[in-house]
Amino acid sequence: MLAYLVRRIVGMLLLLFLLSITVFFLFSLLPGDPARLTCGKSCSPQIVEANRHRLGLDEPALTQYTKFVAGLFVGRTYSADSPDPIECSAPCLGYSFTRREQVLSLIARAAPVTFWLAIGAFLLWLTVGISLGIFAALRRGRWPDRVVMGISMVGYSLPSFFIGLVLIFFVIIKWGFLPFPSYVSPFENPVQFFQTMLLPWITLATLNAAFYMRLTRNQVLEVFGEDYVRTARAKGLPERRVVVKHALRAGLTPIVTAAGLDLAYLLGGAIISENIFSLPGLGSLAIGSVIQADLPVITGITLVTATLIIVMNLVVDMLYAVVDPRVRVG
Amino acid sequence: MVRSKARVIRALALGVAAALTLAACGGQPASPGSSDGTGTTPTPGGTIYMLTTAEQWNRIDPQRAYTGEDLAFFGATITRSLVSYKYSTDVEEANSLVPDLATDIGTPNADASEWKFTLQDGPKWQDGSPVTCEDVAYGVSRTFATGVISEGPTYQIAYLDIPKDEDGTSSYKGPYPIDGKVVGQELYDKAVSCDGSTITFKLAQSVPDFNFTTTLGFSPVPKAADTGEKYDSADVVSNGPYMIDTYETGNGGKFILVRNPEWDPAFDTVRKAYPDTWEVDFGIDVQVMDQRIMQSTGNDAFTIQYGNVQPANLATVFTDPQTPTPQFAGRAVSDFDPYSLYLWINVEKVPDLKIRQAMAVALDREAVRLNAGGAFAGDLADGVIKPNIGVDYAETGWATDLFGEAIPPAGNPELAKTLIADSGKPAPTLKYDYPSTPVNDQAAAIVKASLELAGFKVTPNPIEAGVYYSVVFDPAKKGDFGSGGWGPDWPNASTVIPPLFTHEGGWDLSEVEDKDFNVKVKAAQTELDRPTQATMWQDLNKEAALNAWIIPTRFGLTQVIAGSKVQPVYQWAPYGSWPYAVMYVTQ
Repeated sequence: MLAYLVRRIVGMLLLLFLLSITVFFLFSLLPGDPARLTCGKSCSPQIVEANRHRLGLDEPALTQYTKFVAGLFVGRTYSADSPDPIECSAPCLGYSFTRREQVLSLIARAAPVTFWLAIGAFLLWLTVGISLGIFAALRRGRWPDRVVMGISMVGYSLPSFFIGLVLIFFVIIKWGFLPFPSYVSPFENPVQFFQTMLLPWITLATLNAAFYMRLTRNQVLEVFGEDYVRTARAKGLPERRVVVKHALRAGLTPIVTAAGLDLAYLLGGAIISENIFSLPGLGSLAIGSVIQADLPVITGITLVTATLIIVMNLVVDMLYAVVDPRVRVG
Repeated sequence: MVRSKARVIRALALGVAAALTLAACGGQPASPGSSDGTGTTPTPGGTIYMLTTAEQWNRIDPQRAYTGEDLAFFGATITRSLVSYKYSTDVEEANSLVPDLATDIGTPNADASEWKFTLQDGPKWQDGSPVTCEDVAYGVSRTFATGVISEGPTYQIAYLDIPKDEDGTSSYKGPYPIDGKVVGQELYDKAVSCDGSTITFKLAQSVPDFNFTTTLGFSPVPKAADTGEKYDSADVVSNGPYMIDTYETGNGGKFILVRNPEWDPAFDTVRKAYPDTWEVDFGIDVQVMDQRIMQSTGNDAFTIQYGNVQPANLATVFTDPQTPTPQFAGRAVSDFDPYSLYLWINVEKVPDLKIRQAMAVALDREAVRLNAGGAFAGDLADGVIKPNIGVDYAETGWATDLFGEAIPPAGNPELAKTLIADSGKPAPTLKYDYPSTPVNDQAAAIVKASLELAGFKVTPNPIEAGVYYSVVFDPAKKGDFGSGGWGPDWPNASTVIPPLFTHEGGWDLSEVEDKDFNVKVKAAQTELDRPTQATMWQDLNKEAALNAWIIPTRFGLTQVIAGSKVQPVYQWAPYGSWPYAVMYVTQ
């Protein structure tokens, strides 16, 4: 088990290293010129060059990358020879000249918002999706099954921006049941936090819950056909025990895989929901950075998101062993 | 000026606040009692909210703010300058100067190469210290630190009589020490000097409209408060009626202004400062923003929009491009903004005049306009100088006789073919640069189709919108022609023709460098007689159009909406903005 873990972690670090090179050089090849972008309109070639130097873009790409990596460990100073140098302390993921802030602190501020959004929605869709999926599977072919599948079809068909806008229009603007979202930490003001997050959770969970209903139903039905389930029933075990102890546990394996990756994906930012509900999370930070061509932030978020997905992959693989007795790592 | 990233302009009028008796006590707003022509009486108090899709201000630093909306909002609230524009619904009146921190609108010498402004004895910073001549001189000096103070206007560098180094940069490098020493301070001190409360600017040439220039980046900054690059934040110290209380960027972020207790209306005839608080909410979804203000419930009744009404909602809000529906009468405005839209043609890559003219007459400008929103998007343009600038505009005859015969709105492909034949060259293949958005993608298809009717072959080159200008300002990357837009920095075509058609101007997308034209531009810039100068600009506008350095497409029209309890609702001409300094809430 330990050897497996070490192997995976080493592989993970190697993957991240390769990813950082790819992302860094990919973004440096994009057509825009940040030096010109930060020059404004009254621009002369001299000012563009001064900006290029200030941003550290007048050095070869390899030097820039080396400084980027070094900054992660020891920090770095931008425009060291200018009258107003900018310190970026380790671990320095870069500095956003557009937002005048370290990339890491921008991400650190946005991450909790996305975390709460993702966790709340995740729990909601897992609870609703898996429960209704099992419920439908146990009543296969009967009307409750058809109703659940109908609900899932509708939920699956509605894009999240539509659900979000409809909820805002009716629940907030038209009926005034909730105030317009204004994010606060749950530890600071739990009531406002809940009022702010309720609709984003519902919006985000609707689509995923629909998917998990179908996935769970299909998995459970598939496992019901397995020999060991027939054996369990033949042994005279109570149906509840057959479903929970035998069928569900094995049927959950692909659901765990999907859930782990979906959560990791979501932790990288739920762009549409965050934007519609004005939540200052990673998704809105990412899209804002794309619009403003803020390359250091885009690079930082890409790397952080990729790291999350890689880590979650590892966690999912480890969970297999827990969920499915047939799987052992080693 | 260029448009802010997240928004644009404003519109038409109802009425403006009449002169009010000002209470001479610190930090208090104007007294109630005078009608503003809207049928309501301005009263102090309350909060005006502003919703925006943007995640932050473009720039707050007075030397770096350069979009119309930033200049208008901060000029009305926290950043005073030597002179200001008048608040009026009348375009001509609004485009005239009034004293602000200064006692008058500036005094030039005989050839307008030296300007003096005397500061009022009374305006204070938010910490209670007086606003001094030295603060103005220091603020102006910051622009010269181009490695620190970026993105702002640079007229200071262009106009002040300070020598240039061999590389073309100013010999004065700004007030921040480089290797422990401020470089060129003595040169700056010769050009900008204080005598008591009078500041003198010595210019390298005659600049008859220099007092208008001082509305951009000439605001004072107290040296002790300057934090360099980081000053573009809540660090900004106010000398206006409000001061910064909160500045949180990003989605869900807020910018809150509260009253500056040191502001005294006795020394400010420009700002009425009615609301107690301003709150700007960042990162609002564009559809949500429209719906909230249209429904106008709760605090949204006290809300204005930083952005335009979405096309999908125009039919709900407006009967036609000039008239709001009864439900939105007095809340929605539609008026011409300061911006002219055009296609630039790169003369380096398309040097043949006949070919450029063929491109111009072949374009289906009406289809481009319809694609942008039809009548709601504006009128067909005939040059880069827009009628609402005032005396500098005259019809160029673009659609009637400029090219020898009439050019219908849908273009004249037959004339284009003739012009191509006259050039003696085959119609070239052209690369069309544009910022990629759904609307622009469709416009590119129209451009391609209409030019190909005349025999050109057009390759659309969509560029990510956020980096568009950084690409097309690179001669190595830019195509043969592309889309652009421009609004004047102040109501004089000296901020239109030189930027667009001279290399020194900074926005010469067409890569024009015509010596004869430059001589005429210089003559117009230094002409002291305003009517004569206006005629010169009109001629140069016509010459640029005839040379087909640009293809004028549209004089932009924009629509905005306010909550039901905010007044007055009109477009303030200088920046095409809300009239922030005279706005108030009603009950």
